[in-house]
Amino acid sequence: MNDTAPVIDVVNLSKAFGPKVVLSNVNLQVREGESLVVLGGSGTGKTVLLRNIMGLLEPDSGHVAIEGKIVHQLDREGLFEVRKAIGMCFQMAALFDSMTVFENVAFALRRHTGMTEAEIVDRVDECLSMVGMKGTQALKPAELSGGMKRRVGFARAIALKPRILLFDEPTTGLDPVMTDVIGRIILDLKHELGVTSITITHDLKSAFEIADRIALIFRGECIACEPPDAFKQNPNPVVQQFLRGDADGPFLQDPPPPKRALARVVHNPLQLL
Amino acid sequence: MLTPLFERIGTHVLRIFDQAGDFAVISGRAIAAVPRRPFDPQNLAKQFLAVGVNSIPVVLLTSLAVSMVFAVQLAYGFKQFQAEGLAAQVNGLAIVRELAPVITGLMMAGRVGSAMAAELGTMQVTEQIDALECLATDPVHYLFVPRLLASALMLPLLTAFSIWIGYWGGYFLLVGVEGQSATIYASDFYKLLATRDLGIALTKGFVFGVIIALVGCWRGYRTRGGAEGVGNAPTSSVVTSSLWILISDFFLTKLLLV
Repeated sequence: MNDTAPVIDVVNLSKAFGPKVVLSNVNLQVREGESLVVLGGSGTGKTVLLRNIMGLLEPDSGHVAIEGKIVHQLDREGLFEVRKAIGMCFQMAALFDSMTVFENVAFALRRHTGMTEAEIVDRVDECLSMVGMKGTQALKPAELSGGMKRRVGFARAIALKPRILLFDEPTTGLDPVMTDVIGRIILDLKHELGVTSITITHDLKSAFEIADRIALIFRGECIACEPPDAFKQNPNPVVQQFLRGDADGPFLQDPPPPKRALARVVHNPLQLL
Repeated sequence: MLTPLFERIGTHVLRIFDQAGDFAVISGRAIAAVPRRPFDPQNLAKQFLAVGVNSIPVVLLTSLAVSMVFAVQLAYGFKQFQAEGLAAQVNGLAIVRELAPVITGLMMAGRVGSAMAAELGTMQVTEQIDALECLATDPVHYLFVPRLLASALMLPLLTAFSIWIGYWGGYFLLVGVEGQSATIYASDFYKLLATRDLGIALTKGFVFGVIIALVGCWRGYRTRGGAEGVGNAPTSSVVTSSLWILISDFFLTKLLLV
């Protein structure tokens, strides 16, 4: 591993929704060109981690720094500048359903670049070919299958040539073949674009294919973060149970009871309802 | 024993202030975003079509129905005092000052405001609004501004259209059915009115348009909780904006007529 400053630096990140602690003191560093895979059971705060990195949520404590800039301290303009360098691929693609595939991929190009319409057409074509969706420009998202939507989502995320790509469960709900296809596309994007990436997934096969390092989040804490081979050998019973995919073990056991607080500070009264 | 009761009251009061504050902040951001670049003429044209042109049939039918039924009641009421001649004058006064702006506002809250809440609500729960954020686009600028402009500019026009339809609704009833003179109706309709009254009507239309767009967009933008949330957003936007249309109508009438 080189000793350059991390591109994505998650420092002591904690986030709770009301009484439910989702992330507590998570530390992760991703260096330039590195591909980090974050594993974890459902509802363990993986998506919340990505949303904190994108600045869609504000941490309760700790911070996320992208290329040295602390995300939640930026003003809107600064935040948008950071986001232009990041391509986010949503779990359900989140394509704009009132627009065609072309308009979806062209969206950021039209708003943030001075490209001519002809250049935009070329760039959209290029992005769609990279994800194997050439020729689908005129279709609406409703006419696409789940796997196709995600690939168009990838094309939209890479349109602005980001330096960082974030994938939120890119293979969840897809058949094994499509899961492999998506895994390969992520690998191709990694090699062709040389981007730094974080991929959140449950799928171990694609995780080991695309990861330079694998992190496991368990009860809001990052309990392991190491290269795939070392991860496989990790003696932690939670890691081993996750790798085996076994129902028996510490993974599903109830967490120890939380320390009782005398009074709970309510930041948002809506959370009480 | 009383503590839970006070807690519940307190929670509700806090919630009302919380929501009012949130609405004020988002509305302020939306209004401040109006002159900001990039302008989006395509999106704006789409909203003008949705709010303005596509609303013409609804405004036509409701204005016609309301003006005709009002003329029936006036003709009946004034007949009791052998003062049928006053029906056209009062009809004109009521339509221009109150009925056209308020009926148009309420119908648009139902037709346009609810559609805005449902559309933005669906975008919110399907992460499309987050996707906008991630594509470095301010959702308040991209989604609110075209809807706000379309609604604020189209509502006065629709109000004017409603007045025109109201004129002919009354004409049909009072001249066609009751047999009053057409020339007298034409001059009587405007007898109690000044040009200022048209200005008041259009101002009301403008204010109602702003209320409808801001409430509809805000409700949609703040949608939480999947399909149920998307289902509640339009209902709540219609109730809230209708309420504010009626309340603001009272104050606008009081302020502008002085």
